[in-house]
Amino acid sequence: MTEVKISRTAGLLGGSEGRTFSWDKIRQVANVEIVIAGTLFTIIAVIAIFGQFLQTHDPMQGDLLKRFTPPGQEGYFMGSDHLGRDLWSRMVDGLQWSMACAMTANVLNLLIGSTLGLLAAEKPGWLRIIVNQFVYTLQSFPGLVILICVVVVVGQGFITLVLTLGLLSWVVYMRVVYAEASSLSQREYVQAARLAGVSRWAIMFGHVLPGVRASLFVIFAFHFAGLLIAESALSFLGLGAPLGVPTWGNMLAESRQYMIRAPWMLVVPAGAIVTAVVTMNLVGDGIASLARKKGPSIDA
Amino acid sequence: MVKPVVRIEDLSLEFISQAGAFEALKGISLDIGEGEIVGVVGESGSGKSVTAMNILQLLPRTKIRVPTGSINVLDHDVRAMSEKRLQQIRGGEVSMIFQEPMTALNPVLRVSDQINDVILRHKDVSALEAEEISLSLLEDTQIADPRRVYESYPHELSGGMRQRVMIAMAFSCSPKLIVADEPTTALDVTVQAQILRLLKERAEKTNTSVLLITHDLAVVAQLCNRVYVMYKGEFVEEGTTQDVIGNPQHVYTKALLNSLPEGKTPKSRLATVAAAMLEGGSNDKVIKSPVAATRIARSGDTVLEIKKGTVRYPKDYNFFGRPITFHTAVDHVSVDIKEGETLALVGESGCGKTSLANAVVGLNPLADGEIIYRGKNIKDHDPETRREIQIVFQDPQSSLDPRWPVWKIMTEPLTVGKSLDKAELRKRAGELCEMVGLEPDQIDRLPHEFSGGQRQRIAIGRALSVRPKLLVLDEPTSALDVSVQAQILNLLLDLQDEFGLTYLFISHDVAVVRHIADKVAVMYQSKVVEEGDTEQILSAPTHEYTRTLMNAVPSLEKAFAA
Repeated sequence: MTEVKISRTAGLLGGSEGRTFSWDKIRQVANVEIVIAGTLFTIIAVIAIFGQFLQTHDPMQGDLLKRFTPPGQEGYFMGSDHLGRDLWSRMVDGLQWSMACAMTANVLNLLIGSTLGLLAAEKPGWLRIIVNQFVYTLQSFPGLVILICVVVVVGQGFITLVLTLGLLSWVVYMRVVYAEASSLSQREYVQAARLAGVSRWAIMFGHVLPGVRASLFVIFAFHFAGLLIAESALSFLGLGAPLGVPTWGNMLAESRQYMIRAPWMLVVPAGAIVTAVVTMNLVGDGIASLARKKGPSIDA
Repeated sequence: MVKPVVRIEDLSLEFISQAGAFEALKGISLDIGEGEIVGVVGESGSGKSVTAMNILQLLPRTKIRVPTGSINVLDHDVRAMSEKRLQQIRGGEVSMIFQEPMTALNPVLRVSDQINDVILRHKDVSALEAEEISLSLLEDTQIADPRRVYESYPHELSGGMRQRVMIAMAFSCSPKLIVADEPTTALDVTVQAQILRLLKERAEKTNTSVLLITHDLAVVAQLCNRVYVMYKGEFVEEGTTQDVIGNPQHVYTKALLNSLPEGKTPKSRLATVAAAMLEGGSNDKVIKSPVAATRIARSGDTVLEIKKGTVRYPKDYNFFGRPITFHTAVDHVSVDIKEGETLALVGESGCGKTSLANAVVGLNPLADGEIIYRGKNIKDHDPETRREIQIVFQDPQSSLDPRWPVWKIMTEPLTVGKSLDKAELRKRAGELCEMVGLEPDQIDRLPHEFSGGQRQRIAIGRALSVRPKLLVLDEPTSALDVSVQAQILNLLLDLQDEFGLTYLFISHDVAVVRHIADKVAVMYQSKVVEEGDTEQILSAPTHEYTRTLMNAVPSLEKAFAA
């Protein structure tokens, strides 16, 4: 029974005959969750990339005569804010800002965290001890508190924000890669490679890294959502994006005074944050369920 | 004929999955009479466990379909029973003993709680009376100190003790039938012998029927009155144990018996089931004609010499993480192997044989003593020479990278320090495939697309890729079915003939060792207690432990002699 099941799912994800793309195979692994996640993600990605062509107004240019226009009126698709600026165009700008920030920081996290995790797993000794102790220290503080402290010291701006997030929130990558790589390097096929004289680097890139790859994809998606929230929170507190830059956090902060008079000013950025975070979590779940389906064929 | 306790008639069963239905049982019929011990023998995947689980309706009802057939336990149709009625039967009239007692017992409850729970559930007694019954049950299973076991947690007991507890639990409500699914497979041979004897004794005393599920014909021969042989979801043969094993009728039964190394000329090729079932068209390729006389002349030089080898593992650590006490896994062991010879290390689990093997290939450092390879301490050899020693692990599932295609796995050792292009590597992989009896056009497949035996061939191929002189084989056949074991043993003997390989063969299976080894070293509690020519040691053992071991090994001959 298991044999049948295995060949069915294994084909899609790299069986010998399964390297070609076909809708049949997509349909086999797809479920509602993955379809929704994929659709939402595609929409967000399109807006992020082609935002300039989708904006209807200049996001920075206000029209004081058209303050607090409700959504759908006078050409304001999502309404206008207290200075008469188009919320949709500002939301698109905010999306680009947040995505660029979270993506860059996430890639930095991925590189730092997985490198340290791999090294700590592969090389017992002082490196492992130092990295682990550093991670414990970092983990013992609430994440946002550290970020706030650092940002207060180094100041605002895109680069500083990306670097702060990028250099301080890689712990999750390190922990997962370290744990998985440690267990993988005890596997018999890794030992067999070692006995055959295969170098440490070749083992790391040939056996260990491909083994943790699936997990890395999953964390990347979930962590992305976390970084989006962190970035918005910092901006909201006035510590992230410089004042005036239309990010979701700044827009939320501005909306506070007019919550009753123009609730759409609150709903637009808040809705954007919720949608983006939920999407990334769904993407993470989707990748995880794909990896699980692939699971039995490799590690059963 | 006595009144049957269980009667299964024409039972078919399908597993339903997204991929479609898989036919696990194809119209089987089985009777178990009162007080009878009946065996069901088959290889993995033949459907024997499914049969057992089905008697107690333990398979998830949504995942199976039963097109035909009936199961009657004590004249009641279990398929028509409510879940509540089934619960009364399970553990009451029919109880079960599983393969792995560690996972069958709850690790966070004391033995006392677990036995009492069963008794209180099925009998109308007070807690105090239950305790009394439990203690007497434990006493019946020949446990020396029932009170201590009664108050222990499962992890405080040895494997054999745990299985005794399971037996006590199984007998606790005076069942009519006990279903034992591979009850001794996870245990050492000496313990297995005790448990089997105990099971038989208790069953006879209480007139309980036993359905024994096993892959081991020798166990059946020792224990059962009647036996059913199962192959691909069907009973191909049934009858009294004497008849079936002494005079098999079906081609599968004959092939299965022929594939056992027991009673065959040492180093001869074993018949394989695949060959018999395909009637000639076998995938078990003969690499070279199996004529023992054509063996390469051996120099008789000592290849490997272990002098007082000692392996220790840290047990407790001090405040700074430095180990302060050690467990000695291998204790001053000295053995040597001559070129082209097979030395077998035999012993029970935990005796240190694998630790020693790992020390030879360099996975464990020696705490004391030295390993001399070709006249020089192994530590002083250059890496290239050290690669002449390769290892084949027990479980081919975990020793092959699941993400790599076969050609890459087999040629990985060749890529060290050399840059060979892909075409060259693939060509070499093809050659290696032929060497170990795989089709060369399968080199693009992934490990999971192969069967267990084929995977072990891949692992052997990888070890051979660097043209080793010495191969350490760590239980290379214990994870495989007997018929597949025969194929791998044939392959190993052929390879030794062809390339004059030297083997260090680690095993717990005396029959296999007798078949393949020239010399044998018996390990017991970290020490080698006896060493010498295989035939001499195994037929006339001098050490106490070796004698116990030889007596405990279940064997067809012994069963019939008795």
